[in-house]
Amino acid sequence: MRLLIIEDEPGIAGFLKDGLEEEYFAVDIASDGRSGLDLAMTNEYDLLIIDWMVPGISGIEVCRQVRKAGSLVPVLFLTAKDTLEDVVFGLDAGANDYIKKPFAFEELLARIRVQLRDKNQGDDSLSAGDLSINPATHQVFCNVNEITLTPKEFALLEYLVRNKDRVCTRSRIIEHVWDIHFDSDTSVIDVYITFLRKKLESAGCGNMIQTIRGVGYIVREPEMR
Amino acid sequence: MKREEVKRTAMNMAFRKIMPMMSLRNRIAFYYTVATAFLIALVFTIIYFMVDHVVYRQFDEELESEITEILRDAHVINHDFIGLSRLMNVDIDDKGDEDEEHEKNEQAEVDIEFIQIVNNKGQIIRKSLNLSRNILAFEPGHSETVYSNSRFRGAPVRQVQLPLVNRNGITEGYLLVAVPLKDAINVLLDLQKVLLLSFPLIILTLFILTRSIAGRSIRPIEKVIATAEKMTQANLDQRIAMPHHHDELYRLSATINDLLDRMHEAFQREKQFTADASHELKTPLAAVKGTLEVLVRKPREREHYETKVQFCLKELNRMASLIDQLLMLARYESSRMNPKIEEIDLSQHLDDVVERMRPLADEKEISFNVEKTGKGRAAADPAMLEMILENIISNAVKYSPAGSSITIAEKHQDHLSMCSITDQGIGIPEEQLHAVFERFYRVDESRSLSTGGFGLGLSIVKKLADLQKITVSVKSAKNKGTTFELTFPSA
Repeated sequence: MRLLIIEDEPGIAGFLKDGLEEEYFAVDIASDGRSGLDLAMTNEYDLLIIDWMVPGISGIEVCRQVRKAGSLVPVLFLTAKDTLEDVVFGLDAGANDYIKKPFAFEELLARIRVQLRDKNQGDDSLSAGDLSINPATHQVFCNVNEITLTPKEFALLEYLVRNKDRVCTRSRIIEHVWDIHFDSDTSVIDVYITFLRKKLESAGCGNMIQTIRGVGYIVREPEMR
Repeated sequence: MKREEVKRTAMNMAFRKIMPMMSLRNRIAFYYTVATAFLIALVFTIIYFMVDHVVYRQFDEELESEITEILRDAHVINHDFIGLSRLMNVDIDDKGDEDEEHEKNEQAEVDIEFIQIVNNKGQIIRKSLNLSRNILAFEPGHSETVYSNSRFRGAPVRQVQLPLVNRNGITEGYLLVAVPLKDAINVLLDLQKVLLLSFPLIILTLFILTRSIAGRSIRPIEKVIATAEKMTQANLDQRIAMPHHHDELYRLSATINDLLDRMHEAFQREKQFTADASHELKTPLAAVKGTLEVLVRKPREREHYETKVQFCLKELNRMASLIDQLLMLARYESSRMNPKIEEIDLSQHLDDVVERMRPLADEKEISFNVEKTGKGRAAADPAMLEMILENIISNAVKYSPAGSSITIAEKHQDHLSMCSITDQGIGIPEEQLHAVFERFYRVDESRSLSTGGFGLGLSIVKKLADLQKITVSVKSAKNKGTTFELTFPSA
């Protein structure tokens, strides 16, 4: 999952990036409204975390512009503005959630998970066939066997399972699993897919990831037998 | 007497209780009506007595001419004495038929004079026929002519009683002449009735009219009240609608609106300050909290811990200095700080501050250029003055490019000691000059991060200067530099 953080305070942007990357997110940082808006418009993010008071264009304006462009990307406001009017104003501008500074990192994670949650599911858990993923604890199970994955492997599998029964193109995978600093050499995907397949196979969940030649990969829900 | 006093006190108390509860319009109407009631009562009384006087004088004149006629018949000329005997033969009945006259008399006493002559013992000697069996009321003992109101057969009459004095000065009897008053009395009674009835009516009408006029004229006040009542902290931007006439109410409304403007402004300023202060405090707090929370989620390398802890310490120091500045500002704003103003050696203090600032300036290779052309003395609180100078000079250092110089001049102008600090920095845009002393003001948000200020230094300078009656002014040219000038009060 790829996130954009628009935050001008380096102290806050820094720990957000560190902490979220440890949670297997791909994180981009913009330190002002203008560059943040540019990034949000040119890349496909799974979530935007926006500070209200950033230099240049305000966070509110960024959110409005993004919504005006027709994007439904979840937007989470992160700000020191804490009056009732501010919260209402922020939410009305198109934000999905609002977190007041200072906040607990765990709460931020939980709120991010809520925004990424499948609309048809009550909790955060993801599954495909015998495979189940807990995004909160980063545990992956094949039936009862836990599979240990590296962060990148986990992020890749999570992305594929979230988009199960849909073809994930190589460029989309790169966009959503790797951050902006990644050189767009998509062959790295094949390497990670190979690792993943091996680990799934040994746990008993082989053949989950199928290759669509020349396009990308897909995780299919097995047909009911 | 006592009871009356008690009654009066009770009334007084009731009055005092009611009056404050009365609305302004009722009170205006009440006072106006009471004042007018007195006037009208006075005018009515005067009218009544004037009519009364005129009516009686007319009758008196009639009586007088009657007497004159009788005396003429008795051949009394001028103020000759009149004895009883003189009148014995005078015809005291009107000319004409006696019976007819009699009849007339019995029916209605119109235009008829009754005449009666009594001796000094009150015994009737003669009387006019129209009196028939009745007699006119006689009051003995008067030695002069007496006009009086009396009653004759139940009807009011005007009567004159003339003493008849003989040659020896002895009153021998009296001549009594009376004319009926009936019509005149009716006129007077009618007048009285009209006046008495119309008085309360006029007063009542007047009260109602005044009340409505007063109500109308104070309606704008009610509007003011209604607007003011609706006013809360949340909608301080509401204003009272201005009346059309440029009268006292217009001025009142203008004054209130002006007051509201200032309140709103002050309120906005406070709100902005609170928001800024909370933002400034929460941002480093959030950074420290988040950094530490992320840090303890997993075991890490030693260096990683060190850099993160160092970062947190830096943020905490920033918070501590912000809190210090906020507290300082709060202390100065509460005005409980009493500056100890004394005659100080200004040039010495300048040297001290410049020495203290030198390490900071050396980092950016900024040189100080101190010019002393003044007397070197000023009236100020030494500690506060140094804080002002430190703040301004450290600002100058902060916003000056490396290798530039800062000029600090001490001079004497218009009998006042002055001190100016000029840098060659980036300057402040003209339109923002007025705001530099505002709390949390920064020329440019983004730049503040690299320079690390909170935008409180200059508001502290302003507060300190105000406390010591030092004038601070600022001049600036974009990209050329900024000059802060302190003017000390005359010693």
